[in-house]
Amino acid sequence: MKTSRKIIGTLAIPCIVAAILLILCAIGGKSMIANRTGFNYFVQYTAIVMITTMALSVNLNSGRFDFSLGSMAVLSSVLAAKVTQQLLHGGTGSAIAMLVFGILFGAILGLASGALYVSLKIPPIITSLGVTLIYEGVTFTVTSGKYVMDEVRNPSMTAFAGNWYFPAILIVVVLALMIYLFDHTRFGYDYKALQSGQKVAVNTGIREVPNALLCYVICGALMGLVGFLNAARSSNINGGALNFGSIGIMFTAFLPMFIGGYIGRFSNDKLGYFLAAVCMSMLNSTFAAFSNEISASMQSIINAVLLVVFLIYLNNEGLLKKLFKPIKA
Amino acid sequence: MKKIFAMLLALAMVFALVACSGGDNKAAEDKPIKIGVLVADVSGEEALGFRAYYENYIAKNYNVTFTYTEQLADAAAEKSAIEKFAAQGYDAILSLSSADRATQIETAAANKLYYAVVSGMLDDAQFEQYKSNEYFVGQVGPSMDTEFEAGYAMGKHFADQGVKTVGIYGAFIPNPMHVYRTAGVLAGLGCTYGGASDKDGIAGQLFGDQGVDMSKVACTDVQVIGYFQGFGDTTFDELFAIVGQTPDAFLSVGMATTFFVDALNGAKIPYADIDSFTTGNAANMKDGTLVYLAGKYSSSIGPIFVATLNAVKGNPIRDENGNAISLSQNYLVATDSATFDSIFNGDKGDNPIFNKEALDKVIGKVSYSDFAALVASK
Amino acid sequence: MESNQIVKRYKTRQRIIDVLPFFALVLLFGLFCAVVQAKGYRLDMYLRIIFNEGIVLAVVATGAVFIYSLGSFDISLGASTLFSATLGVMTYNATQSLPLMILVIFGVAIGCSLLSSVLASVFHIPVFVTTVAMMSVLSAIAAQIITTNGGALGGISIPSEVVAPLDNMGFKIAVLAAFWLICFFVFNYTKIGRREKFLGGNPVCAKLSGIKINTYAIIAFVMAGIGVGLGAFLTLVYTPSVTASTASSIGMNIVVAIVFGGMPISGGPRSRIYSALVGGFSYILLNNILKLIVDSGVGYGVSQIVAAVCFLAVVYVTGINYRSKQLPR
Repeated sequence: MKTSRKIIGTLAIPCIVAAILLILCAIGGKSMIANRTGFNYFVQYTAIVMITTMALSVNLNSGRFDFSLGSMAVLSSVLAAKVTQQLLHGGTGSAIAMLVFGILFGAILGLASGALYVSLKIPPIITSLGVTLIYEGVTFTVTSGKYVMDEVRNPSMTAFAGNWYFPAILIVVVLALMIYLFDHTRFGYDYKALQSGQKVAVNTGIREVPNALLCYVICGALMGLVGFLNAARSSNINGGALNFGSIGIMFTAFLPMFIGGYIGRFSNDKLGYFLAAVCMSMLNSTFAAFSNEISASMQSIINAVLLVVFLIYLNNEGLLKKLFKPIKA
Repeated sequence: MKKIFAMLLALAMVFALVACSGGDNKAAEDKPIKIGVLVADVSGEEALGFRAYYENYIAKNYNVTFTYTEQLADAAAEKSAIEKFAAQGYDAILSLSSADRATQIETAAANKLYYAVVSGMLDDAQFEQYKSNEYFVGQVGPSMDTEFEAGYAMGKHFADQGVKTVGIYGAFIPNPMHVYRTAGVLAGLGCTYGGASDKDGIAGQLFGDQGVDMSKVACTDVQVIGYFQGFGDTTFDELFAIVGQTPDAFLSVGMATTFFVDALNGAKIPYADIDSFTTGNAANMKDGTLVYLAGKYSSSIGPIFVATLNAVKGNPIRDENGNAISLSQNYLVATDSATFDSIFNGDKGDNPIFNKEALDKVIGKVSYSDFAALVASK
Repeated sequence: MESNQIVKRYKTRQRIIDVLPFFALVLLFGLFCAVVQAKGYRLDMYLRIIFNEGIVLAVVATGAVFIYSLGSFDISLGASTLFSATLGVMTYNATQSLPLMILVIFGVAIGCSLLSSVLASVFHIPVFVTTVAMMSVLSAIAAQIITTNGGALGGISIPSEVVAPLDNMGFKIAVLAAFWLICFFVFNYTKIGRREKFLGGNPVCAKLSGIKINTYAIIAFVMAGIGVGLGAFLTLVYTPSVTASTASSIGMNIVVAIVFGGMPISGGPRSRIYSALVGGFSYILLNNILKLIVDSGVGYGVSQIVAAVCFLAVVYVTGINYRSKQLPR
């Protein structure tokens, strides 16, 4: 593929989305991003969507469906907030400590989930249902079903939430690490081999169990990060979700995952996830600008329709190209 | 083999269901009164305050046990919970859940359980339908009129202070109480909505619009620079679109003290909310920019407990026509830390506003007017 | 000789595994009765409650077995139940006609199912993602209708006397038995069931044998739609009102029920129509036993953890004969 085509293919969707949304905003007399605070939240949301999408894709691309992403994010952030509060009492460095603990607890929860999967050898979708219920139950027990607020309200967290460059740094670091891990290490090569041909890969001596475990650890660590970012953004964590109340978080990552996968054909899928997250964040900011005209129900419907339309295109690309191919004389 | 087993099992279960009907284990009269509490919110500060009052104060001072349900998601869960309390030999149901109050009353009555609405009120038509039901004890709480008045007082407070620009958070519209509060805020600010300035005119349109349509808001002295509702991915973008314009005040009809404290304190924007008198809000008012709080206090649910207790003990309180209790309870308002503290500290632990001494006055055979006087006294 | 022993051992183990879900149901039923009796509660009332809690789940899940046997996965059934019930209530309130209400409920339920299947089979969209989109759209539209028309009541309802005569055990048992027997017959004694299991077990082979995948996918979704319609109707019979959260927990509980009843999530020849009924009631019984034993409050978190552990244990044991060298996906 020519470099120019790669560049065009990579940037086409974000540019088209940006153009359409900016035109809509101009017609409606709105600003997609009104001020510096709006930009802070734009970058934060981009980071949340990108990291959730990456976490979802790590296992889903290998045929492992994981419902427990949301419960991991909530539980790791609750544990991180409580431990940080115990150690620092909301003082200097609370945000960075909660960030580190969030990743750590997320990784441990991911490892536990992965260990359950590899030891029980039952389908991952089933394991994840059980894990979701367990993690929600633990969160409810730890928080007594209450909102966690005092632990995440301190000057350090406020400073983190109020500056776009913190989430921007996280985006760069996570993106670089994920590209390095999955595209330039032995683990990544094994992951791809197992992804495209599990039986052949196992028979050639690739150790599937450690690879799967590491995938779960990475997934957990990423969701720990998402839990932290959500806590910083909302300045509270809802500890009362039971009976699969936490799974909604993963549904927001489907559309960016498919868009990212499409962009990835022209460059790199992780870069694709980032650009797809930017598109979703622009859409989110536009929804916010038009919040008086577009209700929350309507936003859900628009997101779902976009997902279906994009998938119809994605899964019928060949047919559509054939249909619109100029007839040669 | 398995199919036969399945059939036999099904038959056995059907047989058990039919065979087990009948029987009665009614609690003896000298046993403690058992009350089941239906809850839709297990996390909110207000709900936790109510629970602490019943479980830590009322249960200690009266021969009563309270059992709380888990978070009830829908009408089926409410009905099932009432039936379970009936199966466990409970005496009464207190409801803090409102998915389907008509079914709650019918289910409680069918199971001979006394039933009372602890917070909020039935709509007028529903109350008319059930007011003569002997098992319906009644309702004591803010009516929709009171909700409107609470919003109105908040809006008027800021209008009287001369604010020129405000942002409004409509919480979880179309939740009815949030609709009426928002309608009140708009009216209190001196605004009309779609040409209407009265309670029903504004609220009716808000239900239809599922929120505030800014193109319908027309104000004279105050400018509403932004409105949003709900809590989702766009919430903080919407909040900061308003905060960025530095309004003179931010008026919320609920949950701002849970969701937006940091953002509003950080931007130094004075804000108001309709919530409850809690430790968190005491700090928000003392150190933050919370300048107006209309709220319930935890022991406000004391009188309806006494009415239920009386009904269980054979002393139901009915109005002159023999109908159930229906009394509206107003919100208390604090606009400074000292007032807040006096309300908050006066309703704590062993010395709540509706303490044993106050409640004992209406225990036993009492008239409707005595009971109404107690409710109105605080 | 040794291989004969292995085969014999395999068959014995398989027999045990096949009866395990029934054994679990009987055990839970016995345990439940014992706990209720030990606590001095009314067993007759509790049995009725359990039946009412389980019937909607059992009916919807029994219809869903047809989808799951194909190896597909539908997460939108709870939202479809809500949407059908909502339009049913609206129809009754407009016409005061119970037959028309029932007709609309079933029409809408089957229509929603057909739409999912058309999107999945005609446009080749992954079934799970289609149903995620359907879930968002249906619940958003239902919420819009309910809140607009519900006004200060927060929900919409039909007069309770309309359905009160049907709210009795005899009617519900008859409905459940009739629907289950029809599904049992179609699933086990017609080519529809056999071919669906074949498609779920080996889609490539089934396709090469001339089985039309799309046709059987559509039939499966129609059967699931009938289950949803029946579930929506029974929901209204129990409580004649609909709020935005009605049937919200059904979507995920169906998966748990089917798997709890011994059916593999991958579908195929090991699919069993009784799984939904057995698993649905087992799960309801387990939850109720735990809620009776564990104290309320924080105990709800603990009981969810215990339920999840039991769920994973049952799935582990029922899948013990199907472990492969590779990790399952």
